[in-house]
Amino acid sequence: MAETKSYYTIETDGTLLCQKCKVPLEKADAVFSYLENAFPVELPVCPKCGFVYVPEELALGKVLSVEKVLEDK
Amino acid sequence: MGVMKEHFKERNTRDYHQKRLFTKEELEERESLCVHEQSPFCSAACPMKLDVRDFVRRMAAKDFTGARAMLERISPFPEILAHGCSHPCEAACRMGEAGESIAIADLERVAMFLGAPKKGKGLLKFKKKKRAAVFGGELFTLVVAAQLADKSYPVEFYVEAGDAESLLKQCAPFLSEEILASAVRRLQSMDMKIFYGTDLSSAFVEEKRGAFDLLCAAGYLAKESPDADTLLGKDGILYPSEEGGECLRTFYDARRASVSADRLAQGLDPSTMRGEEGTVTSRLYTNMGQVEPSKRIPLRGEGEAYDGEKAAEEAVRCIQCVCEECLKGCTYLRHFAKHPRILTREIYNNTGIIMGDHMMNKAMNSCSLCGQCAVTCPNGYDMGEICRLARENMVDTGKMSLAVHEFALQDMLFSNTEGFLSCVPKGQEQGCRYVFFPGCQAGAVASEAVLRAYRDLAGRLDGGVALMLGCCGAIAKWAGRRELLNEQKDFLRQEFGKLGSPVILAACPTCRKTLEEEGLGQVKSLWETLLEIGLPEGSACHEEKVVLHDACGARNDQKMRQDVREIAGRLGFRLLPAEWEGEKTSCCGYGGLVAYANREMAAEMAEDCRKEFPDAPYITYCMACRDRLARQGAQSMHLLELLYECPAGTPPDISEKRRNRLLLRETILREFGGGDDMSPAGNGCASPEEMGFRAVITEEARRQMDDRMILDTDVWKVMGHYRDTGEAVLDQRTGLLIARLRIGNVTFWVKFTEDGAGYIIRGAYSHRMLVRTR
Repeated sequence: MAETKSYYTIETDGTLLCQKCKVPLEKADAVFSYLENAFPVELPVCPKCGFVYVPEELALGKVLSVEKVLEDK
Repeated sequence: MGVMKEHFKERNTRDYHQKRLFTKEELEERESLCVHEQSPFCSAACPMKLDVRDFVRRMAAKDFTGARAMLERISPFPEILAHGCSHPCEAACRMGEAGESIAIADLERVAMFLGAPKKGKGLLKFKKKKRAAVFGGELFTLVVAAQLADKSYPVEFYVEAGDAESLLKQCAPFLSEEILASAVRRLQSMDMKIFYGTDLSSAFVEEKRGAFDLLCAAGYLAKESPDADTLLGKDGILYPSEEGGECLRTFYDARRASVSADRLAQGLDPSTMRGEEGTVTSRLYTNMGQVEPSKRIPLRGEGEAYDGEKAAEEAVRCIQCVCEECLKGCTYLRHFAKHPRILTREIYNNTGIIMGDHMMNKAMNSCSLCGQCAVTCPNGYDMGEICRLARENMVDTGKMSLAVHEFALQDMLFSNTEGFLSCVPKGQEQGCRYVFFPGCQAGAVASEAVLRAYRDLAGRLDGGVALMLGCCGAIAKWAGRRELLNEQKDFLRQEFGKLGSPVILAACPTCRKTLEEEGLGQVKSLWETLLEIGLPEGSACHEEKVVLHDACGARNDQKMRQDVREIAGRLGFRLLPAEWEGEKTSCCGYGGLVAYANREMAAEMAEDCRKEFPDAPYITYCMACRDRLARQGAQSMHLLELLYECPAGTPPDISEKRRNRLLLRETILREFGGGDDMSPAGNGCASPEEMGFRAVITEEARRQMDDRMILDTDVWKVMGHYRDTGEAVLDQRTGLLIARLRIGNVTFWVKFTEDGAGYIIRGAYSHRMLVRTR
C-alpha cells in the first residue's frame, strides 16, 4: 500500500503536551489495526517517546464505526 | 480456570470456515411453521385469486376505484362476475363465526358502480401472430374470446345471436338492464371481430379451423369432455369443463383455457408449468378471541345496493385476518418488523456469508432468546432457538465478533474466578444436603438479601446448607459459546461434586433452568423450599396492588410461577392482572445478552414490560428483571428483598455490581467460612488504596463509565500505569490529563486532574482498535 495514503488526519496546534517528555505532540504517521485490517492515519504523536493520542471524539466516532463495520465482516 | 482466557482472542476477518446452520429440509420445516404469509380464508376460497382482504380494505378506505380495478384485473367482464358469482369467499369469511360474514358480494357489486372505470387502453400492444377462433355464444366462450383479445391474439368470435345485447343476455341472463348495458359497452370496446348471426355446427367449425392456430368452442359443440386440467379436447379445441356451468366455475374455466391457449401458442405442452390454480387450503391463524361480533349493515331493500358510506361501514367490519400473534408481545420482532419466517431466512443467509457484510448480526444478537414466541405462536415457532443456534454457528465458524458479548463473558469469568465462592459452613465439612445458589445478579444487586436468605436457610434447613456464588453458564449459552459453556459446566460439576452433590436451591429462574437443562444436579427452586419450611418470620404484610413480573426463565415452570404467587399472596400483595404474564411473559431485556448487543433494544424491552401499568410497583423473582425494570424508572422489588426486608435501593452501576459480589463473598467467608479453599479474592479488583494511590471518580464520570461499560477497576489499572510510567497527554485547552492502557482487547483512556490529594477522574472512553506509530 502506498505510504502516502492516509485515512484520517488530525492537525495539531501545540495545545497537546506530552506529560512525560514535556514537548508538544505533532502530527505524525500512525496505524490503526483491528481484526487483521490496518489503516494508515495521521494522529498527534509525541516526537520523543512516540505516545499516540486518540481523542475521545475520534474513539467514539470514526474508530467505533469502523470497528463495527469490521466486526460484521 | 486459566483456559478460559483463550476464548478471548479476537477473530481474524479473513479466516473462517463454513458450516450450514440447517439442512434445506430443516430450514423449510422450521419456516413452514410461520403462517403469516398464508392467504386469508376468503382469498383462499376464490378460484379467481382475488385478494379479497385487500379488496375489502380498499372498500373500507373508500378507495372504490382501486377496489374496482382489482375486479377488472381478474376478469374481462367484472360486472358479470360480481353479479353472477356464488361468492364462496363469504362462506369462508371468519366473521361468520362472530356474527355474520362480510357482505363481499354486495361490496363487489357496489365497487363496480362507485369506482371509476379504467382509463385508456394501457400500453400499445402489437398483435400476436397466432390467430384464435372462438365458436358459440355462451359465458365461457365470451370470456375466453375477451381474454385472448386482451392478450393481443387476433380473435374471431362466431355466435348465433344477432347482436351484442342478445349475446350478453344469453351469456348472463341474471344481469339487470342497467348492468347489461354496461357489459354491452364493454364488449363493443374490445378488440376482436364478432360474427353475429352465424349458423354454427360442427361442420362449420371443421371448415373454419384450418385458418386458425387456437380454437375454443362452447360446451354444446363438444363431442366429449375435455381434459380436466387443460380443458383441451381430443380434437384440439378448448371447451368448458361442463356445459352450462355455474358462473364462477365458468370464469375459472375460461381462465384455465386461456392459460392453455398461451401454452399452445408457444408450442408447449399445456399441462406443464401452469402454476398454482384454483382454490387453496389456507393454514392462516386468525385469533378470534378479541373480535367483537357484528351483523351485516343492512341493504335498503331487496335488490338494492349500498351507498358509499354504508359500503365502507360494512367493509370496516372486516378484521383483515392476519397472524401476528408473535409480534403482539415481542418488542424484538416488532422492532425489526419481520415475521419469523422471513427473519429465519435472513439469519440463515447471514450465517452462510463467506466474504462480505453480515447484515443480520445485529438482528440475530438482539433477540432475548426468551421463548415467548414459542408460546404465543399457534404453531410454536421458536425464533429464540433459531437465533441461539445462529450465534453458535457464527462462533463455531469464526464469524462472531468478540466485541458483542465480551463484557458479559468477562463478567461470567469474574463470577467463576474472583467472585466465585463455594462455602461449606464450619461443622458441616462432612457434607451438606443442600447448596444455596443465588445467581450472579442477586449478589450484584441485593447482596444483603442474599446474605440474610442464606442465614435463614442455614438455620432452618436440616442436613446443612452450603453456598455457591457463581455463574450457572447461561451467559456462555446465550452468547453461543459452546466450548466455554462446557468448561463452565465441568467446573461447576466439579465444585458441586466437592460438596457431595447436594440438592441445588436456585433463587434465579434462569439458573434453575440452565443448571437443570445442562444436567448439573438436582435443582429445586428456593421458592418451593421456602413454602415448605414456611416464610421467614416477621415478613411484613404489604397491602399493596402490584404487578408480578414473570421471569422468562420460568416460562415453562408453572410450579415456580404458582409458588411465587403464593408467596406474594402471603406477603399481602394483591396482583394486578397483566396481559403478558405467566408463560406469555415478555423479557426485561437481560435475556439473551440483548443489553450488551443492543442497548436501545434492551431498554425498549424493559419499557414495554411496564407499559401496561406504568405507575404500578413491580415485584419480581428474577434479579435481572428487578434491576432492568428499576433502571427503566419502575419501582421494582425482588421477592428476596421483600421476604428479608432489606430493600436494595437504586440499581448499582456495573462497577458496584462487581464490588457488591466481592463484598458478599468476603462477608460470607468471615461469617461462615473456615476451610483452606476459602482464599480471599484475587488481586484483579484491587482498589486505588491497595495499589498505593488515591483517586475519586466524579458523578458524571461514573455515569459515563456505566454507559460505556468501563469498570472502575479498568480505570485504576490505567492510573496505576500512569503512576508508574508518567505517560499521558496534557490538553492545555481543558487542563485535563489523559492517560491510557491496553487491557486485553480494549484500550482504555482516562481523563483526569491531579492535586495533592490524588487523582480526580473526570471521564473515560475506550476503543478496541490498536494504534501504533509507523
